[in-house]
Amino acid sequence: MTCEDFQLRLTAFSLGELEEDERRRAADHVAACDHCASRVLLDRQLTALLRASAVPAPPATRVAVLEAIRAGAGRPPSSPRRPTRRRHWAALAAALLAAAAVVAAALLVVPAPDPGSPLAAAWSSYHDRGEDGLGTPTEAEAERLFAVLGPASRTPDLAAFDLQRQGWEARELAGHLAAVAEYRDPDGGRVTLMRWRGDLPRMAKGTAGGGLAAYRWGRHTSFWWRADGVVWCLVGTIEQDRLAGIARQLGGES
Amino acid sequence: MDLEGFEAATVPHMNVLYDAALRLAGDPATAQDLTQETYLRALRSFATFEAGSNSRAWLLRIQYNLFCTQYRRGRRMPLIWLDEGETDPSLDLPSPEPGPEEQAVRKLDREAVRRAIARLPEDFRMAVTLVDIDGLTCAEAATVMGVPRGTILSRLHRARRRLETMLLPELGRVQADDL
Repeated sequence: MTCEDFQLRLTAFSLGELEEDERRRAADHVAACDHCASRVLLDRQLTALLRASAVPAPPATRVAVLEAIRAGAGRPPSSPRRPTRRRHWAALAAALLAAAAVVAAALLVVPAPDPGSPLAAAWSSYHDRGEDGLGTPTEAEAERLFAVLGPASRTPDLAAFDLQRQGWEARELAGHLAAVAEYRDPDGGRVTLMRWRGDLPRMAKGTAGGGLAAYRWGRHTSFWWRADGVVWCLVGTIEQDRLAGIARQLGGES
Repeated sequence: MDLEGFEAATVPHMNVLYDAALRLAGDPATAQDLTQETYLRALRSFATFEAGSNSRAWLLRIQYNLFCTQYRRGRRMPLIWLDEGETDPSLDLPSPEPGPEEQAVRKLDREAVRRAIARLPEDFRMAVTLVDIDGLTCAEAATVMGVPRGTILSRLHRARRRLETMLLPELGRVQADDL
């Protein structure tokens, strides 16, 4: 085997992927050739370096994944190991309901929110509204929104981001009065802005220090932040960096 | 649903899946989404998993298919994760062996390696991730990526030569006991 032949087989040799006959010829060559032996050493150094770069799953990810697995299996983390025979139908029904909930949640949001939370209501509201535009609230509704949300009730102009306002309205989200505005871009991209007075959803609490939280599922991205007691939720199908730019601007203004 | 069986077969591979997802997706949040969705898909199709076969390769195949069909399209722009300043705490765990200076150098080296891998074309990056980091054989990686084994070897060979060039200073610091 020549040096050139060996160099072509270097990776396969280092990985132990050569056939026995070829491996023996390559090993014989390395034993007699300092240059190729140094190449093998370099290759092994590279493997060691690559393996050392592995990133373990953070503890929060492990918890989230395990919770998702158990929810997906229709079993809460602390439930008994197996349902008894008498509970068979109840367990089956619960499993079906849980599976349906997981599928529904997986369509739009990870992790699955508490069904009674404003987060769930916001996603559900965004999803159910579909592609329809909104109207305009009555004067009384607008006054009520302003009384609850203050300046945050105003619908921002996003023309600078090539987004046309379609309408806005007052909506109840899990008992919270919310101002909801819809926008479209020329390509049909959709952006929905929701604001209500309250706390950030649990999953976005890590940003309570004033940052933005970003969550994505499929083609939907959402940004969350809280200012002056008002939660802002921006959801859309436009490019993530555009949506992030809008969130940053609105976040800076609010 | 054999939840215990599923967890026993799959949870030990979560670090590998997360690492592969991070290299594919490029940001921790999407990596977590991808890992989680991979587990949910695996759970749904666990009945088709052959006991005794390589569950790590099976999970990685599900993950790679999921990335190709659902995540890659939404990744025209780099993902922006706004929880800045939040780093993986595991990276800062002190090792009982090396001193502070060596730890710092090793950490820098790991970051350099991650950056270098991230600069590879996606096909190369995935081949390196599956074989060099996750420890699959070329045949298993070929099944995961749906290409012939020779293609994996070729991608690996070319990827490794590029990495050698990018990582020459770091390669010089690899200790003999790391090999």
